[in-house]
Amino acid sequence: MTAADPLDTLRRHRVVVCVGTGGVGKTTIAAALALEAARRGQRALVLTIDPARRLAGALGLESLGGEPDELPPRARAALGIEGDGRLFAMMLDMKSTFDGLVDRFAENEDARSRILANAIYAHVSDALAGSAEYAAMEKVYELLESERFDLIVLDTPPAQNAIDFLDAPRRLLEFIDSRVVRLLIHPAFVAGRAGFRLFQRPGLRVLEMLERLLGMGFLRDLSEFLLAFEAMADGFRLRATRVREMLLGPRAAFVLVAGPSYQAARNAEAFLQHLAGQRVPLAGVVVNRVRLWQDGHEPTPHGDGTTAVDVEAGAAAIEAAIRATHPDADAAALAEAACGAATQYDDLVALDRRNSAALRQRGEALGLFVRAVPELPEDVHDVEGLRAVGRALFADADTDATAASGPTATGGAS
Amino acid sequence: MAAEASASLLARRIVIVTGKGGTGKTTVSAALALAAAERGLSVLIAEVGLFEQVPALLLGHGAPPVGYEGRELRPRLRAMRIDPFSAVAEYLGLQIGSPRLVERTLRSRGLRQLMEGAPGWRELITLGKTWQLEQMRLADGRPRYDLIVMDAPATGHGLSFLDVPHVVRSAVRSGPLARNAERVETLMSDPDRTLVLPVSLAEELPAQETAELVERVRDDLGLWMDRVVVNAVAGPPPGDDPERLAGILRSLPSDVALGRLPPPGAIARAVDHLAARQRLNARYVDEIARRTGLPTLSLPVVAGGVTGPEALRRLAGPLLEAPAGVGDDRRPAAAPGDPS
Repeated sequence: MTAADPLDTLRRHRVVVCVGTGGVGKTTIAAALALEAARRGQRALVLTIDPARRLAGALGLESLGGEPDELPPRARAALGIEGDGRLFAMMLDMKSTFDGLVDRFAENEDARSRILANAIYAHVSDALAGSAEYAAMEKVYELLESERFDLIVLDTPPAQNAIDFLDAPRRLLEFIDSRVVRLLIHPAFVAGRAGFRLFQRPGLRVLEMLERLLGMGFLRDLSEFLLAFEAMADGFRLRATRVREMLLGPRAAFVLVAGPSYQAARNAEAFLQHLAGQRVPLAGVVVNRVRLWQDGHEPTPHGDGTTAVDVEAGAAAIEAAIRATHPDADAAALAEAACGAATQYDDLVALDRRNSAALRQRGEALGLFVRAVPELPEDVHDVEGLRAVGRALFADADTDATAASGPTATGGAS
Repeated sequence: MAAEASASLLARRIVIVTGKGGTGKTTVSAALALAAAERGLSVLIAEVGLFEQVPALLLGHGAPPVGYEGRELRPRLRAMRIDPFSAVAEYLGLQIGSPRLVERTLRSRGLRQLMEGAPGWRELITLGKTWQLEQMRLADGRPRYDLIVMDAPATGHGLSFLDVPHVVRSAVRSGPLARNAERVETLMSDPDRTLVLPVSLAEELPAQETAELVERVRDDLGLWMDRVVVNAVAGPPPGDDPERLAGILRSLPSDVALGRLPPPGAIARAVDHLAARQRLNARYVDEIARRTGLPTLSLPVVAGGVTGPEALRRLAGPLLEAPAGVGDDRRPAAAPGDPS
């Protein structure tokens, strides 16, 4: 099995989902992927979770709104989008999206306002584990079905527990279908029949316990909420199944974005393991913001398994070279500073490489594409930054040998 | 000791470490816990995530997990993972008084389904457990733990985490749950006992999220914060004029032999990189201070990465330093632009 490559992933899918733990730059990678698709003539949409203002700026937009906004002509030109290619961007507002779900599935106006006004709903829509993420997926489904885009690339909320949002509909439905909730939904039925013996039936011990813990007022609110919610459960269930099929089916691909730090790489390994076990259609791993020596230089191996540039031999050579070309400069001090910088940077290069080695191997073993995106010195959220990330992801799409160690390095991960 | 107590991170009973994902919350938590333990305090570090990270940070890669039971990882430093299901079983056992009933109930499929989907209880039980840990006393009446460091979930999730006692109190008006939520809320909003410690990176999105976090924690939740930790702030590159150095390096012939050093152009780029990183970080440290109205405390980049007690100790010094402006004043710092 040949490893997939990033371009192939964009060509063959309708949805690309960037997943990963927080702070690794999923938003940036998502934007760079969508940009590349647009540069190759597709109608692409990037959906972000963060209100990334500088990214919006780089895309020529004032801010990212709740509906797809197309890039203005000037930004298109700056980013190299020509011909039929179109790029749209938007930010998912999770809270309003969940309200949208209620709008869509509530049976009638009365049910709708009862849900929206319910004290518990206000908190549930915020707090129900993964429900916000799920509502976001709903929006993606809706956009996909609209056929307005060839490709949707989305950034997901940081999830330590891999793919919370995929499990969210199942959890929500199980919650609604659970026996305890059934009892809560129809308390009158139960109480009317059984009267005071209500809590003596063994199956109702749970309810008794809940009542003792929660108080009856809360149970009444909860029951009212669930009753209202139950009415929309069928529509919700059908839709949840379709969303799940979309995300786990042939139209979708997942890209795991990881950071190069020790902790980020470990988290990503655990994440990868989890995803691989869940039938998630994984396509690739991107190790973002990796410090690399450009020009193919490799970290210099030290005896103890760490690396360091050979400072002493280098210092004399650099000092001589500076003296030869800049007779007025303080060659010794400059050479010392240059060696210091080289050593500092080399440590970072070696560290990132060491930290992400196991993750890269794991990804390759799974037949995924593995790319390293170099850390850019300045903020990545400008036109140049986005282009540079794109080059790192796609420039070497045809030469697998260099994939693991970055865009311009020549060696493999030794 | 007493004079500086209120400015010290070690003076509280509970420090809740929070922030955007990837900012190094767990590292900061572990460094703080280790520093406190090595200064003679009895410390508990509590993780809430699914994958434990603290044992590896303190003992090195491959250290076995500590679980809900917890384990002493270093002298005076105990670590545990607050697993909500274990905590709820323990809590129900205390409330109901019949362990057998609790055990049977928790095995019921119905309840498990309910709990999988039900909102809020994980957060509440986690904080409730923290309350209980804070209440634990030794035989002589002194607290079992002088300091509890809580490695809270990433913001986004973290905010609803800190929000939950308040939410529960507004939804549940009576009964043991309401009482518990109230006790937890009282503890959390007591500035003498609880400090929320936001951790950020000096970059665009973390800075933005930190500003929003601080605003919400201060204005909506009324919890006490007195500083923002800014992690991994790059220091200046070697030499006193990186720009000139890079320029000179670029002007050298590219084929000059430098032994095993990278070619001059690559070194020039490394110099640029280190200098730009430092400028970027400095800019966002300022922005975090300006937008939160809180003093910032910068932690250095630790060469070789942070694993093991040696590296954690290197963070302890800067972490325990009282940033300028943190004193005995217990009023929340004024919001930027606030005339009062």
